[in-house]
Amino acid sequence: MSVQFFLQQCLIGLTNGALIALVALGYTMVYGIIGLINFAHGDLIMLGACLALSLVAALGLAAAGPATTWLGIGLLIVLCGLFCGTLNVAVDRFVYKPLRNAPKLAPLVSAIGVSFIFMNVGLFWIGSADRSFPELLPSINLLPGNSLQFNWKDLLVVLVVAPLMVGLSLLVRVTRLGKAMRAVSQDPTAAALVGIDVDQVIAATFFIGGFLGGAASVIYGLYINTIGFQMGFQNGLYAFTAAVLGGIGSIPGAVFGGLVIGLVRALASAYVGERWTGAIVFAILIVILVFRPEGLLGRRTSEKV
Amino acid sequence: MNARNWIIGLLFCCGPLWAVACRPADPTLVKIVSSLPRTGSAKQQSDTLVRGIRMAIEEVGSKVGPFRIEYLDLDDSTAAAGQWTSEAEAANARRALQDPDVCAYIGTFNSGAAKVSMPILNLGDLLMVSPANTAVGLTKPGLGEPGEPGVYRPTGRINYMRVVPADDLQGPLSADWAKKRGIQNVYILDDNEVYGKGLADLFDERCREIGIEVLGHDSIDSKAQEFKSLMASIKALAPDLIYFGGTTQSKGGQLAKDMTSAGIQAMLLVPDGCREQVFIDSAGAANLEGRCFVTFGGLPPEKLTGRGRKFVERYREKFGETPEAYAVYGYEAACVALLAINNAGTKNRRAITDAALALRDFDGALGRWSFDENGDTTMRTLTVSGVKNGRFEFEEILNATTAGSEDTTE
Amino acid sequence: MQKNVASTDAARKAGGDSLPDAVPFGSQITLWLRERWDIVAIACLALAPLFIPALGGALGGQVTTLFIYCILALGLNVMVGYTGLVHLGIAAFFGIGAYVMAILTVPMYPFQIGFLAAAILSTLVAAGVGLALGAPTLRLRGDYLAIVTLGFGEVVKVTLRNLEQITGGMKGLNPVPPPGAGVQIGGIDLGLAFAIDPRWFYYLSLGVLIGVVIAMRRLENSRLGRAWVAVRENELAASAMGISATRVKLSAFAMSSAVAGLAGCLYAASLSTTADPNAYDFNRSIMVLCAVILGGLGSIPGTLLGVTILVGFDTVLAPWADSWIQQMNINPTGSSLLSFSGWRLAIFGVALVLVMRFRPEGLVPSRRLAAELRQEHS
Repeated sequence: MSVQFFLQQCLIGLTNGALIALVALGYTMVYGIIGLINFAHGDLIMLGACLALSLVAALGLAAAGPATTWLGIGLLIVLCGLFCGTLNVAVDRFVYKPLRNAPKLAPLVSAIGVSFIFMNVGLFWIGSADRSFPELLPSINLLPGNSLQFNWKDLLVVLVVAPLMVGLSLLVRVTRLGKAMRAVSQDPTAAALVGIDVDQVIAATFFIGGFLGGAASVIYGLYINTIGFQMGFQNGLYAFTAAVLGGIGSIPGAVFGGLVIGLVRALASAYVGERWTGAIVFAILIVILVFRPEGLLGRRTSEKV
Repeated sequence: MNARNWIIGLLFCCGPLWAVACRPADPTLVKIVSSLPRTGSAKQQSDTLVRGIRMAIEEVGSKVGPFRIEYLDLDDSTAAAGQWTSEAEAANARRALQDPDVCAYIGTFNSGAAKVSMPILNLGDLLMVSPANTAVGLTKPGLGEPGEPGVYRPTGRINYMRVVPADDLQGPLSADWAKKRGIQNVYILDDNEVYGKGLADLFDERCREIGIEVLGHDSIDSKAQEFKSLMASIKALAPDLIYFGGTTQSKGGQLAKDMTSAGIQAMLLVPDGCREQVFIDSAGAANLEGRCFVTFGGLPPEKLTGRGRKFVERYREKFGETPEAYAVYGYEAACVALLAINNAGTKNRRAITDAALALRDFDGALGRWSFDENGDTTMRTLTVSGVKNGRFEFEEILNATTAGSEDTTE
Repeated sequence: MQKNVASTDAARKAGGDSLPDAVPFGSQITLWLRERWDIVAIACLALAPLFIPALGGALGGQVTTLFIYCILALGLNVMVGYTGLVHLGIAAFFGIGAYVMAILTVPMYPFQIGFLAAAILSTLVAAGVGLALGAPTLRLRGDYLAIVTLGFGEVVKVTLRNLEQITGGMKGLNPVPPPGAGVQIGGIDLGLAFAIDPRWFYYLSLGVLIGVVIAMRRLENSRLGRAWVAVRENELAASAMGISATRVKLSAFAMSSAVAGLAGCLYAASLSTTADPNAYDFNRSIMVLCAVILGGLGSIPGTLLGVTILVGFDTVLAPWADSWIQQMNINPTGSSLLSFSGWRLAIFGVALVLVMRFRPEGLVPSRRLAAELRQEHS
């Protein structure tokens, strides 16, 4: 009950937050580019986790040596990322794309519909009960002493999330595609006028968001170790909240928001009580939004007339 | 324009559909319904219960006396909620009440759901046998909330019985067992639900009575995904034992996992809501091995004798697996209902309910037991099992002749 | 009557997709039917229990629930449909209504003020909470407001769950006495009648629903109703016309919450319990929101239809189909692939996606919205 306890909780909070942030990126990128709250993103990750579980069994990773395990995890991340990315692009092509000019809430309801469909697929895939995800990484404390616990799987979260985020921000800031994405998110019509293939850019955004979600699903499985067909909802709720807290549409905002939410959750659980965690996270969210209506790192936009 | 066409069309479509739904009563037909969560996370447990019920009905060739038995497996959960809902449970109860052929209602699984359907079914004196409710307030005066159980019996008569011992046995006896094991301090968690919280409170109370130090008592959100920071807090308190009042569905398995990854060495004690193979699977056998113990009212399948043993064998033959602990309770509840219908010899619901309540020294799959004046089973044994090699292994039998029964007479 | 004819004409002009058989016979009866479909619908619903005995059973309870959800959805429609503010936490107000109702009537508390007084008070309390949430958050832009309402819903749920001394925690508060408990009319205890025969609640909730529909219709064409729509269409322009956007939005917030609270107290009374706080979670808010959008934003018949389809599917059709499959013995092994409930979510999802794909403005779009859309497309 000391500084060390506080540090331990912060460590947990930041690790959790990093995972939330990875999911939040999927929300914020899609929102930034077509203004859609993609309710199906959490369930997309659930499907990714189902695939990861099946792959672990198929590849026999649970019984593999350390080197094979790390290699296998890398392979899982790539495969699940590709799966989720492709699925996300397909959903966009067949569900959201026809609704580009529809009333604003129509794609939202479609997204909810897609999330129900995904859940049903997950239900048939892994059954209705929670499934245990094999612990591929040993529960060994990496830090000296017994006061601070930081396991291999905690390290894995940091090892995967940090490079993905750096890569993403480089992609958005430096590459041609990133430039096009920023242009489309500012004004799709103007972007089309200067020769950007808007549909392709949107598809790319969905793919990247989905890929990050797929990576998140593997880490989720290895870090939380339980998956179930209903996990997408709670997962999505916090990630979406993180995206809004950071300023939806802003990539650094989503990362920052994720870390804040993770930290708040851990500290609320430690110092107020586990039972109040949910209420405190959302109460803080409301208060922050009241004082900073555009989110922590969001841009203040003026109303268009 | 569209609106009226739509609505008129809808009305015309629904009209005949509703009319079909009601048919005249058949004097030789008796329906038994069960109301259990058939969608969502409790499905696996309710599957085994339903199998038990079906086997009991098959055993008598779907015939009791002059009556043909028809069984209807109702769902008290909805896809949208993923768990039982009050509406679905109330609808099931009303449906059973209004169908004159229904003579027995087997359910519910969740104690909270029983609170919804009990007062409804009570109005028609419809026999309700629960295979799984353990909340004390449902039957026992003075142990639950003020006014319980009277509020569930608007007619003042008893129509609700259960074949499973209530938590006033399990909670205190678990604490006694912990004491015997040399536990000095405990951290208590519950899932904030009627069953889990009620049990954890009873456990908490008993611990304080017999001198086990309670280091803390918190409720988890069963929708949360991980409990790492909670476990870090518990680790700082270094308890000998963590007690979790809850079920597999309310994240019992996840707690065990996060305990290990937080580096907690303590023992874990869980109640009968976790006594199913799914719990071990969801927690990961390695996380439970040798340190997780589960209490269970009555005997586990492998310890059953006589009729119970036969049931287990037939179940294994039929489905190729050892039944979950609750399957036999589904079977027992159905047997009680069938016997009551047989003893009453009429379709009069009140007569059937009275016949069930009058059951004494019933030689069932669970052993020899009776219903007491509250509709509770007189069976008062509790077993403790541990987890070994990824399976539940019988540990010991506790009898309520000691502390537990004193508790109930207070 | 005059106005009604005029507005239907407008609808006919606006809705170019009207069926081809609009004029042909022109007989008095069909014309009358077309003008006053609402009366026909009400008459059918009012007479149904006399001819359909199943309504005295479980079906009656299910249809009552359906009516209650219709009221809730009409409340949400004020915010989402008329005023254009996305609200993801309507279930919280539904819950507040139910809990206030329960606190004021259950035997556990000393109040026990009777159904009518409790219903009025819980509606007012819900409206008050709506105002309290709305006042500081109104300056938020669309999606940020949505997340605030979502967060508020979660806060309310967790609070209801954790304040055990007041709300009974996960046990909920029960038993909520039926309306008229203890009132004797002609030797019949009215409360007992309510408890035994679901048709009493059927009529009560149908009555309230009709009342709310009438009120909504009047609101739609009132000064306030037009102000709501003006703010939805263009807040800046509306303010320039001298409409106080803040006040208009606040009134929508309060109205929405009040109607949801009213639905909540009916819900608690009809179930005779508040149920546990999970009954008022995000899932329920989303379901009602889907119903409103599916039916057609800002359209009263659309909202009613949307609820009938979505909630009816889950509470009436799905259980019925499941027991039918069972009785036909199609699925002897109990495989979830062959049971209806195994497919419920997918059917639900596909329906939502398809409706939005082919009728993005909803099944029965409001006249005004339909007219606008047509202009945009042409």
